[in-house]
This record gives sequence, structure tokens and C-alpha cells, in this order.
Amino acid sequence: MNAERVTVAIDAMGGDRAPDEIVAGALQATEAIDVDVVLTGRAEEIAPLLPDGADTPGVTIVDAREIVTMDEEPAAAARTKKDSSLVRAAQAVKEGRAQAMVGAGNTGATMAAALLRMGRIRGIARPAIALPIPVPGGRPQLLIDGGSTVDCTPEWLAQFARMGREYARTRLGVDEPTVGLLSNGEEPGKGDELRKEAFPLLEKVDGFVGNVEGRDLMHGGVDVVVTDGFTGNVALKSMEGALRAAVNLVFGVLDSTPEAREAAKVITPLLLDAADVLDPDSTGGAALLGIDGVCVISHGSSSARAIVNATRVAAECVTTGVVERLKEATRAG
Amino acid sequence: MPAETHVERSPLGPDEVLAIIRERLAEILEIDEDRVTLDSTFSEDLDADSLALIELVEALEDELGERTVGFSIDDDDLADLKTVRDAVDYVVARLASATG
Repeated sequence: MNAERVTVAIDAMGGDRAPDEIVAGALQATEAIDVDVVLTGRAEEIAPLLPDGADTPGVTIVDAREIVTMDEEPAAAARTKKDSSLVRAAQAVKEGRAQAMVGAGNTGATMAAALLRMGRIRGIARPAIALPIPVPGGRPQLLIDGGSTVDCTPEWLAQFARMGREYARTRLGVDEPTVGLLSNGEEPGKGDELRKEAFPLLEKVDGFVGNVEGRDLMHGGVDVVVTDGFTGNVALKSMEGALRAAVNLVFGVLDSTPEAREAAKVITPLLLDAADVLDPDSTGGAALLGIDGVCVISHGSSSARAIVNATRVAAECVTTGVVERLKEATRAG
Repeated sequence: MPAETHVERSPLGPDEVLAIIRERLAEILEIDEDRVTLDSTFSEDLDADSLALIELVEALEDELGERTVGFSIDDDDLADLKTVRDAVDYVVARLASATG
């Protein structure tokens, strides 16, 4: 393999559409991006999906016999299934055979495997998922935590805010990102105990602008939205559901009368183009911040396109030195 | 007392095990070591979740496995370890059986 190219370890067996879509995406990534890939999983299932089998340029297969399923307890799976495709991918980064990993399987187990194999950044108690949220007509926002750490302390939310702000500089290209705390009202006193206790800690974080509400997601105004993993995941799924309902509504109207169907011939291609920004496969996955290494989590039903984009994000995290930047930001407090 | 000639084989006592556990837990949980006492409960007093406990287990296996061949922690036993004292007693016993 070319030593100058970034190598990304990809869990080939993780995700609803594994291994076919994962391997296809990994292969496309070697052609579309300046990366090599290490595919972890059952070699006899992976090799036939590659043009030259195990000899395909830019691709290394690491055989792993076990698979972590979506319903397994994350920490236990990451500890006990040492010969799983997921743990092998994290292990490849630990051993220096890859500089980053990508996984589309069990999110909690991916976090646990990355944490146990790569370790944590000193000063960060728990990792968090930083997910770019599309903003139509504007630059994306960053939601952190998107579901990594369900039960949080106020101190952890402050850590998430600092990591999210630094990551936004790199991923969103914002010099001085603003930070908001997701709550049920904009006033400082709003929220449950966690948010009330976190607020004064967040006031010490540069760029903090106070509470934001769910309706501020996808509408810009604040660059980084901080919350616990439980609320963050509920917010994400709520947005997905609302968007799906809105799409169904629009296409229902466009199919409602002969005149609407005529108009749809013009409008539909434009709508589909515009809606591409909302496609989860186009966002490139979510970075797991707080790990002493690069780990990108793609969604469970990832297509080949999603894997290409997740691999691109992983490679960019390596080349831009995200982990070192997060360490510096954490040390600076 | 004769000079120790097999340092790597000498089993650790409760005080040394406690010191290691306190240090590792403080690192994992990002808390002050002073918060970790023998009577601390993992869940209520230290807010240590299952992932934190597994981090601790792997850290102990790495560190103690280097000086005591065969030392390991059985995952099935983790549910019984409610306090730091439980963990210290358990680790001391496992070290003794590994060296025994």
C-alpha cells in the first residue's frame, strides 16, 4: 500500500446492508478518494465482492469470524467479541495498520470498541457523536451528542460543547462557532436539572449563546447544538420522521389532480435535487469525538454512497489532525 | 526478610490493589482520586456505568496481567462487584489463584 495515503479500517459486516453495500462503498472510496481500506469481516464473504478478490489494489482483508449484532449490549459485545469485524477494525487502528475506522453497525458497540481499543482523550469522560445537520440554504449545524452517551452529567455536556466547537472549526469551516444548549425554552432557567446545572458550566465555553429549542435545528442561527445522547437521538429521529411526513405531503399534493401531475413533471426533479442535502447518505457519517483516534459512525442502513462519504470524513479527520486539535482544545479548557 | 528475587511473581496486597484501582478509576471517570474509597459504590457514588467498569477491567488486566501471568477477570463475576471493596477483594483473590 502507498504509505502516503490514509488507510481507513471499515467494519464490512456492520449495518443492515452488509457486507454488499459496505464493500461496494469501500471499493468506490479507494477510487474516488485518496485512501486505502482495510476491510474486517468474514473473508469468504468479502473477497467475492471485490474485482480481484483479496488481491484488489488498495484493499486489505482482515479475517474476523464474529459479528456484533444490532441488539447486543454494547460494552459486553466490545469486550467479549474480540474476533468480531467491529473489534478488529478498532484493533487495526490501535496497531497502526489504519489511521481511522468506519462502522455502520451497532452504534453503542462501535463507540465501546473504539473507546476500549483506542482509548480516550485525557479530560474527556465520555465520547460523543458529532453529527452535521443540514440547513437548507445555509451551512450545516453540528449536533452533539447524537446518541453515544445517553446518561450525562453537566460536566460532560460542557466537554461535548468544547469538542463540538473545535470540530465545527474543522468540519464546518467556522472560525468562531456559536454554541447552544438544547432545551425546552430559550430562557436560562429553562430545562430539567441536567440542563439547569449545565448552563453555568457552558457559560464558560467560548461562543456559548444560551439555550436553543428543537425548532432551531435545521434553521441555522447557532453552529453547535449541545445535548445529551438520549435527547439528541430523539431529536434526530423526530426530524427524520417530520421530514418524511413533509415529503409525503408534498408528493401527495403533486399527485392530487391532473394539473398538479403536470406541474410535478417540472417540480419533482427540482425537489429531488434540492432534497439531496437532506439525504443521510450524503452527510458522510458522524464523528465520534473524545476517542484518542478517528472513528466515524455511519447510519445502520448505509448504502455504498454513505460508506464513501463516511470514509471521506474519516480520511479528512486524519489529514486535518482533528484528534490533536481536540486534545489541545480540551487542555485549554 | 530475604531479598525478593522474583518481584514479578509477588502477589499484590489489598493496599496496592486499592491504589491501582483508585488511580485507574479516577482516570476513567475523570474524577479526583479522593472520591474513590473502599466503601464507594460504583453506580450510586461514582456514576460508573457498564462501559466504565469494562474500561476498568481491561485496564486492570493489562496492568496486572503483565506481572501475574494468567490473571484475568471473568465477565460473569462483574455483576457481583458493587463496591470498590468488592473489586479489591476480588482482584486480590484472582491474583492469588493465578500465582497459586
